[in-house]
Amino acid sequence: MRTNRLKLLVGGVQLRDGVTTVTDLLGKIFTRAGLYAIAMEKGYASTIYGAHQYDPMLVTETPAVSYGDPDIDILVALDYDTNPDAKQQPNRDTVLRHGGFLRDGGILLYDASTGEIPTDDLEARGVKVFPIPARKIAHTELKKEVVKNIIMTGALFRLVDFDNDTAYLTQLLEERFLRKGRELVDLNLQAAARGREAVEKILAERGYELTVRLEPRPAKKAVYVSGNDCLGAGAIAGGVRFYAGYPITPASGILEFMERYLPKYGGRVLQGQNERESIRAAIGAALAGARAMIGSSGPGISLKVEEIGVIGATETPVIVVDAQRAGPSTGMPTRPEQGDLNLVLGSGHGDIPRIVIAPGTIEECYTLMLEACELSDKYQCPVFFLTDLNLSEGKKTVLEEVFAHRPKVTRHAIVREDDVRGKTYRRYEITESGISPRSVPGTPGAIFKTSGAEHDEFGFVSIDPAKRAAMMEKRMRKMDTYLREDWKPPQVFGEVRGAPVIVGWGNTRPVLEEARAVLQARGIKAALVHFTHVWPLRRDALDALLADAGPVVVVEQNYSGQFADLLQQELLIPTRRVLKYNGIPMHPTEVADAVQKALEREGAVVRIGGTAPVKVEVGRNEHEGD
Amino acid sequence: MSTKGTKIWDENAVPKHRIQWCPGCGDFGVLAALKQALTELEIVPHELLLIGGIGCSGQIRNYLNGNAFHGTHGGALAYAVGAKMANPDLKVVALAGDGDTLAIGIENFVHVCRRDPDMVLLVMNNGVYGLTKGQDSPTAGLGQEREEFSEEHPPMVDPLLLALASEATFVAQSFSGDVKHATRMFVEAFQHPGFAFINDFSPCVTYNKFNTYEWFRDHVEHVPPDHDASSKDAAWALVRDFARRGKVPLGVVYRNPRRCKRFERLPMWEDELGEVDLEPVLAAFR
Ligand SMILES: Cc1ncc(C[n+]2csc(CCOP(=O)(O)OP(=O)(O)O)c2C)c(N)n1
Ligand code: SF4
Repeated sequence: MRTNRLKLLVGGVQLRDGVTTVTDLLGKIFTRAGLYAIAMEKGYASTIYGAHQYDPMLVTETPAVSYGDPDIDILVALDYDTNPDAKQQPNRDTVLRHGGFLRDGGILLYDASTGEIPTDDLEARGVKVFPIPARKIAHTELKKEVVKNIIMTGALFRLVDFDNDTAYLTQLLEERFLRKGRELVDLNLQAAARGREAVEKILAERGYELTVRLEPRPAKKAVYVSGNDCLGAGAIAGGVRFYAGYPITPASGILEFMERYLPKYGGRVLQGQNERESIRAAIGAALAGARAMIGSSGPGISLKVEEIGVIGATETPVIVVDAQRAGPSTGMPTRPEQGDLNLVLGSGHGDIPRIVIAPGTIEECYTLMLEACELSDKYQCPVFFLTDLNLSEGKKTVLEEVFAHRPKVTRHAIVREDDVRGKTYRRYEITESGISPRSVPGTPGAIFKTSGAEHDEFGFVSIDPAKRAAMMEKRMRKMDTYLREDWKPPQVFGEVRGAPVIVGWGNTRPVLEEARAVLQARGIKAALVHFTHVWPLRRDALDALLADAGPVVVVEQNYSGQFADLLQQELLIPTRRVLKYNGIPMHPTEVADAVQKALEREGAVVRIGGTAPVKVEVGRNEHEGD
Repeated sequence: MSTKGTKIWDENAVPKHRIQWCPGCGDFGVLAALKQALTELEIVPHELLLIGGIGCSGQIRNYLNGNAFHGTHGGALAYAVGAKMANPDLKVVALAGDGDTLAIGIENFVHVCRRDPDMVLLVMNNGVYGLTKGQDSPTAGLGQEREEFSEEHPPMVDPLLLALASEATFVAQSFSGDVKHATRMFVEAFQHPGFAFINDFSPCVTYNKFNTYEWFRDHVEHVPPDHDASSKDAAWALVRDFARRGKVPLGVVYRNPRRCKRFERLPMWEDELGEVDLEPVLAAFR
């Protein structure tokens, strides 16, 4: 019997079967039970009824690094009849898609309302099969179809010997439904009991023995949250009081979070009428003195590009969140990628100082956002905050102590009335640091003229060559100041000297940490160098770090190796690459395999999941845009 | 008309002799009327935020006192909305050309009319792109008979009709050749609670050889005193009637204060922010 380590996957028909309703409930309950849940590899297809949706979850006793490899202990299939995607195989879509990842001896729990399905091949691998007619029970016995998922939840809890006294479930149901009446709570509890009984019956009939159990641990203060929630909370704690967005997956969650919470902190949220209105309004709000942020994804950032130039040239502080999804163009709206690095590095014509930060974990969505807030205020330049679909929409148990970190929010270089009394205020004063004291309209004596057109120290438009050169240099000097004062070196795991080095950035760190462990177990001592502060880079520090390193393998989730190109260009070192871009997140073992392959020859580019021939089916539209 | 007292508007501004407009440009009249209106209203320059468009017209932001911002072509209104949302105490004026507002910026124009923020948009309409040397703008062709239009030269956009259709709550028209009337329109625009749109005919003496001062003098006509500006129907009828008669109305065409919710200035505009309590956020996620 294995205790407190469970990998499960819940699948079903989108918008009908309530996949995330189930996993959100599980995540919350497991978190309250003192366990740690990660549900960060969501699979769905925009909000189109009928498509397949799945939500994998890893539950552990101590915090897991990543979701790990795609193997599953328990597969929960909520689909119960023909779905348009699987016409020939009633109730089998989830099983067909994910059955292959079930471990030998694992468990299949499925809704058998429309009959049992052939599972011989799974049973041959020792998989224990639990066909539960959940919808039928809900419909005929309990007279309320929506409780079918609670039946499945009850069944699942029985399978892992969890919450036998229904204490957790009761509490959650009461919180949710008590104001609608006791009956609703009781009905749900009854449903859960039916699920348990159904499992009980099958256990007795088939003589299965269960092998995984979950056991509550002393509860610590923790929440079950998404990356969008965390970066939203970070923005609020970091002083952001104006947020503007235009709906786009996977950044919409930030807009929803902000609409819900920012007004409670005296802030305001604008849903722009398009991408440009959003970012322009944020620029206006920042100009008027509010700390301002916008959130979008690749296609939206593309539209905002002209304003990135305005932010840079006018030196107006705005935080730009890019929750990346797979591109180009509309790409795959519901699939993760690290494909926007070149966009944010190169957005805008002319040279613009900019800072690019990419958190590696959901926790860092909070902590690094605090930093982004400070940096935008201090450097008065675009600060990009790169997450991706997994990080944005994935959820995880996060200890509340993470949120206890709340540094004092200060203003950098703001001119007040006293500072300018008897002096001439110059908005774009040429300074050593490149940072010019900023005034806020309404400050007597500190009237400013701001322009995206090239300007003199007063902000008046100028094409005087000497002034142009001085102003350009002033702006770009901010990057030197940043590198000196605020740059964070990459996190280093292991000994770099003489060893092969895995290099990564942003959201892949947990997977790379585990890939490194896999390699270690195979006798390959690789180091991991991981960047959260992606641009600008400090060449001297990195040169020194990598001077005696073995081969450098950059692992990232895009086609060309955008960060690898950047490193090559900045450090003049050769890189090998491991790349994945098929829309599926990276997994530790496949990364370890690919790194091993990449170590075999110089200049290697190893593509994961991108070389197999594909069977072409015409006329299937499983992935609409949003 | 007295310009005494308008001196304050020359501080923190580009000196007169450095103004880049062509001699005789209609924008001079707008500048004079604007300074006069601001003086009459006793607006304090440091509480004024001028958001300029891109074009000859947008330069006006630097030719008078007050905080000024200048970003992208077509963007003025949206920056203004954000600034106003962040600080409702600011006096915000967007100053742009007809090209800026009705071509590249038309998306912002339509939606800002709907949003109805308490600010002023002053369009210096000359029927051309002045700064880029005279190409047609969407308002090109005012008063010109066009037997046939084509894909290349579609009929003009009437800014008044577009504003009315977009739910603007103050729609007025002025002419920089009549500074006194323009001043009155600007004053009324500032006093309007909500979004005040003024289409000011501001001749481009260099590139628009048709809509000259003379042409305007022959064609402008004041809105009749009995016009019911509070009626949308009357406003539509007035604009159509003038157009049919080949005339250009000057005056307030439509005025109907919509009471927008009033907000406080957002926290943290100048001072530090106290440590925030995240409990309400965390509670929902437990
Ligand atoms: C994105 C972009 N496209 C084009 C231009 C070039 N441009 C500068 S001003 C202008 C038009 C100005 O016309 P209008 O708004 O009518 O102002 P005017 O100069 O007539 O006062 C254009 C197209 C630009 N600056 N930015
Ligand atoms: S080009 Fe036309 S609009 Fe521009 S300054 Fe000259 S007259 Fe005025």
